[in-house]
Amino acid sequence: MKRYICDGTSDGLLSAIASILEEEPKPEEVTLSAREDTLFEEGLFIATDTVRAEDLFSRLKERAPDAAHTIYFLMLAEKEGMENSLLHYIEQAFMHGDKVNGYLTHPAVRDIVTVSRKAARELHRMKGLLRFEKLRDGAYLAQMEPDHNIIQPLAYHFSRRLRAQHWFLYDRKRRTAASWNQGSLRFGTIEQFTAPALSDDEKKIQAMWQAFFKTIAIPDRKNPRLQKSNMPMKYWKYLTEKQGE
Amino acid sequence: MDTLAKLQILSGAARYDASCASSGSRREGAPPGGTGNTSQSGICHSWSDDGRCISLLKLLLSNDCRYDCAYCVNRVSNQVPRASFTARDVVDLTLEFYRRNYIEGLFLSSAVMQSPDQTMERMVRVAETLRIEERFGGYIHMKIIPGCSSELVRRAGLYADRISVNIELPSQASLQRLAPQKEKAAILEPMALIGREIQESLVERKKIRSAPRFAPAGQSTQMIIGASPETDFQILRLSQGLYKKMNLKRVYYSAYVPVSDDNRLPVLAAPPLLREHRLYQADWLLRFYGFSAEEILSDDAPHLDESFDPKTAWALRHPEFFPVEINRADYATLLRVPGIGVTSAKRIVAARRFSLITPEGMKKIGVVMKRAKYFITCSGRPFEKTDRQPALIRQQLLLGEGSDLMSPRQLVLPGLYV
Repeated sequence: MKRYICDGTSDGLLSAIASILEEEPKPEEVTLSAREDTLFEEGLFIATDTVRAEDLFSRLKERAPDAAHTIYFLMLAEKEGMENSLLHYIEQAFMHGDKVNGYLTHPAVRDIVTVSRKAARELHRMKGLLRFEKLRDGAYLAQMEPDHNIIQPLAYHFSRRLRAQHWFLYDRKRRTAASWNQGSLRFGTIEQFTAPALSDDEKKIQAMWQAFFKTIAIPDRKNPRLQKSNMPMKYWKYLTEKQGE
Repeated sequence: MDTLAKLQILSGAARYDASCASSGSRREGAPPGGTGNTSQSGICHSWSDDGRCISLLKLLLSNDCRYDCAYCVNRVSNQVPRASFTARDVVDLTLEFYRRNYIEGLFLSSAVMQSPDQTMERMVRVAETLRIEERFGGYIHMKIIPGCSSELVRRAGLYADRISVNIELPSQASLQRLAPQKEKAAILEPMALIGREIQESLVERKKIRSAPRFAPAGQSTQMIIGASPETDFQILRLSQGLYKKMNLKRVYYSAYVPVSDDNRLPVLAAPPLLREHRLYQADWLLRFYGFSAEEILSDDAPHLDESFDPKTAWALRHPEFFPVEINRADYATLLRVPGIGVTSAKRIVAARRFSLITPEGMKKIGVVMKRAKYFITCSGRPFEKTDRQPALIRQQLLLGEGSDLMSPRQLVLPGLYV
């Protein structure tokens, strides 16, 4: 079995896949992995070619838009060791088009769809669980530590929803930030983060939300297990309603 | 009284309304200069201590009720603190909460203050202020107060995404006994009106895209379970009629929480949560699984089985339907297999286009087999060495993990499991 290796970037990966799919007569019989820089690495290295990577992705978008969407979320998942599965997933996607995601008995398809689905699920979850705080200057700030790198699609969601206010998202784990102000969305990194002062009435509003959160539960139906399974504790750190409980 | 104190009284009084859905309406972006949009699938923002999702800011405009419905915490004869919001209170709370992403929008109901019309008028004014003055594009769910004018119902439907009229009790007799000031006609008339308006608006919008939308997320209703003597069969048939004839999006079932020692009400140790759970399962069978109420229950067996979910109970009564062959059965047949839901059935249909599904493959595509294994074959072979006699299956399901005798039952029989 032929082994190929590529560098760990998404461009490196996609260009290696493009090269294999074009040049290998039997792509289903080769494997692909990321270079680990060990002394005795086996396999042919395929150099990164950004143009080739972009070309592959745009052809895939045309042939199988759902599959391209799946790969977008796969990239947000930042999961290592998916190179080989992605190679064979893309090969299947060109073969079957958008039906590919139903081919869950194929190990590579299942791998990719499962990981991608997790990232998509966390994005949906964070659309609900993200909490903004109003700062002294009138802007709003939301902090989070998601498992997946979802800041981009999340910021896009809020750019359509909270259009009239100035806000920031900050991913503390990855030190990445998004900002929205008067119709423009920007992304960047923040190395030194210090939490800015809150606006004067912020604590008052937060207390009202906390009060609502408490009273809306029916005491006779208390069910902490159900609460935790719907809203895992890893998200509680930034939830206004879970502060000071 | 300050807003915080009002909020505590009026959210506490609203919590027995089960509906919190924010789905079914789609507005891509916020209105120009305004705030908020909606998402087709709805978004849950939190889960309260009872495990229920919080999506909307659920409030009563007032709990100062002149009615005396026996089952209701807000009835006039009950000694509880009373409060009323101004329109501005509710508008500000909604906007402040929405800007911080606490909520998807507002759910507004109310006790009947001076009259149905006066109450409904004040509720509509809140929605009007949010939509027109504040250009709020988020989700609004409004209750209709039975007995209010049809003009007010129409105005509510123009601002709200979803509107609902609560049936409260599943029969005219129970309504008369427990809610003497409410009439069946006053409940059903606005429901029919809303149904017609929704239809008309859809037709109108096909002709003219800019025609106003009327309650784009449709209408729903709620029934209280366990405060009156109706059987599950009666309740389910009523729901079936509402889905078929009135085009309702959802019927909610709310286990009666004892809030009164009125002697017209049954004495319950705890809310009938298992019964509520079974009714929801049966309701899903009506809406997504192609079952009819008459297949699930009958006059001879008018109550849902406590030990088994209604689909498993149906399967045990119908051994002639099984086993179902996974590689050949159509979608509707797959849906009748216990343990195979909408997601699994779709995945099976999608996966077998590529190759025959093996027992191993069933696990790979994520079908949970603990119940299904008794009812299916893969390419003619039984899934595991299982006995197919209903009596034995029943026993195995009860002993094994197949049965979901779960915590709600323990709540009904306190002390038994300690």
